[in-house]
Amino acid sequence: MSTRAGQIGSLPFIDSNGGSLRRVVIAALVVAGLMVYVAGKVQIMRLGYQIDDLEKQKRDLERMNRSLQIEASSLSAPSRIEEIAVQRLGMVRPAKDQIVVVRRKAGDGASDDRRASARRQEHQQQGE
Amino acid sequence: MMMERRGRILLVLIAMVAGLAAVALRLVHLQVIESGELGRRAERQQERLVKLEPKRGNILDRMGRELAVSLDVESVYGVPTEVENPRSVARELARVLRENPADLERRLASDRRFVWISRKVDPARADKARVIDPKAIGLQTESRRFYPKKTLAGTVLGFTNVDNKGIEGVELLYDKELRGTDGWVMAEKDARGRTVFPGGHGFQYQLPQPGKDIVLTIDEVLQHIAEKELDKGLAEAKARGGVCIVMNPHTGEILALSARPAVRGRGAFNPNEPKRHRPDEWRNRAVTDVFEPGSIFKPFLAAAALEERAVHPQERIDCSAGCIQVADRVIKDAHRNGVLTFTDVIAESSNVGTIKVATRLGKARFFKYITAFGFGKRTGVDLPGEIAGLVKDYRLWSGVSLGSIAIGQEIGVTPLQMAAAYSAIANGGTLMKPYLISEVRDPKNVEGSKAAALPVGRVVSEETASMLQKILRKVVETGTGQKAKPASYTAAGKTGTAQKIDQRTGLYSKDDYVSSFVGFVPAGAPKLVILVMVDSPVGAVYGGSVAAPIFKAIAEQGLTYLQVPPDDLGGRMLLVAR
Repeated sequence: MSTRAGQIGSLPFIDSNGGSLRRVVIAALVVAGLMVYVAGKVQIMRLGYQIDDLEKQKRDLERMNRSLQIEASSLSAPSRIEEIAVQRLGMVRPAKDQIVVVRRKAGDGASDDRRASARRQEHQQQGE
Repeated sequence: MMMERRGRILLVLIAMVAGLAAVALRLVHLQVIESGELGRRAERQQERLVKLEPKRGNILDRMGRELAVSLDVESVYGVPTEVENPRSVARELARVLRENPADLERRLASDRRFVWISRKVDPARADKARVIDPKAIGLQTESRRFYPKKTLAGTVLGFTNVDNKGIEGVELLYDKELRGTDGWVMAEKDARGRTVFPGGHGFQYQLPQPGKDIVLTIDEVLQHIAEKELDKGLAEAKARGGVCIVMNPHTGEILALSARPAVRGRGAFNPNEPKRHRPDEWRNRAVTDVFEPGSIFKPFLAAAALEERAVHPQERIDCSAGCIQVADRVIKDAHRNGVLTFTDVIAESSNVGTIKVATRLGKARFFKYITAFGFGKRTGVDLPGEIAGLVKDYRLWSGVSLGSIAIGQEIGVTPLQMAAAYSAIANGGTLMKPYLISEVRDPKNVEGSKAAALPVGRVVSEETASMLQKILRKVVETGTGQKAKPASYTAAGKTGTAQKIDQRTGLYSKDDYVSSFVGFVPAGAPKLVILVMVDSPVGAVYGGSVAAPIFKAIAEQGLTYLQVPPDDLGGRMLLVAR
């Protein structure tokens, strides 16, 4: 006696245990493929959100860094530095009699040149 | 019985077919006829055009120190169409953001797709606002302007509004360069209302172009010195306001520019809080206001007379009468003088001697030099609202005009014009265009575009300029400007005490003055031109008593900061050999 399925035996993988297995495997492969595809999509989405969070963290850190730079700039204002120098450290501007201007004697440059040239000649003689 | 049953089945079938047909028709309607419009609506709901604001350029001083910077902050927006209960959302938002709940409710109840809830708020507060209703409330990063040095050079820098648009000062004049170009990105919204940037093929975006940095000629330290000493002087003189300008006479670079409000007791303008100041306190009075200069104008009569050889510095002029009749007006000297050399006429600020020389020179020749020194024309400085001053054509002068203008009356000048004109005397006779911007620095191009010193033209010969320098030096050594002499340095300059016009009578006031001193240091090799103008001092009113000490303090500290060797140490100089 043949089954109803057996009557359409021209269809592949029908009439044997091996055929059923093949069908199951194909179905499993299709499902697995779909799962991999969906998992990939989910992973992409998840990574996207992760990137978004990391971007936000980066932005926050950059913002904090910039805020600190601005704070440093604000703290280095000349008015604040002067206030600390005068009031906290007790510094004063030099009075007129505390300043001595040191100037080089005229013609010093020429004597320097002469000394340098003599030194060069000395080196050359030693080399010979 | 059978027929009845069949009829019922038929009826049900007809009803089902009709129902299915209706669904099919509706589907066709939605998918075919309205598909375009519905697709667009879906896109509108799912897609968002996110505007990317460019980073506004910084404003730096000449040494690269930051005077105006931008910082990223969050702005909170709402999508009213997504808000289910505007009242409760508005109440919670108002608590977190310290806004008016009624105003927020009105905005959230509107039928618009986008409304601002609060602009440029603290990031922590913005995050709290976001979680109140994540579908309807979103955050947008924007940049906010900060002026880390607070009031320093406030009226020079100006300020921006909440949209980062320049409103005053350099921020306004260079808004285009500082602003950059907006960018945008087409983002999508997920089910939770979060913005997702899809990336990949078809991702549409345009990156914003950051603004350029502006480098000023201002030196932060000189600016601080000028502001500090001006404020101190204004407080001592109980003055209404004042202006101080420090310039490099050889290039026209403005190294410091401080303008204080014309109202007693009003603090310096802080660009971080523009709304706390009245609009008339925003402007830079050094270029937007005119004043009658008084005696600080006499050197220009001297320049014209010396250049035209109408007088010699040692020529003796009789000033013993103490007054002089000019048309229908009698002009007096502040102090009785005898016979003075022309040098002493200027050093002692004799009105009588000055008017006698002016009469000799004549209107046309004097007018030629007034305009040559830049009075009556805008200097073209990089600040908004500059005015040309008030200089009448000599053909419109009355009988008294020549004498009045020679002593600095009947003429209106801006403080900057005056500083630029003194720079011409200090540098040997060339009028330089004053400027405030030394470089516009493109972030992509390190070189940037640099401004160069621009000579406007020669106004007097070097010989005349040298004679004037000696005359002005005498003003400080023995004349009315002795309190302007800085310790260890020589100085040259001129005092001025100009009566102001009484608004009620239209006549010169007897108790309201503008006291000023303009000069340069060191006198022999000028490095700085300094102008000090004090508006309406109380008590001591003479420029030599009120403005000259401010000049002295700025000159001493400024030259020390610039490491200019003292040229007047009285022999305390040590010569050494290397």
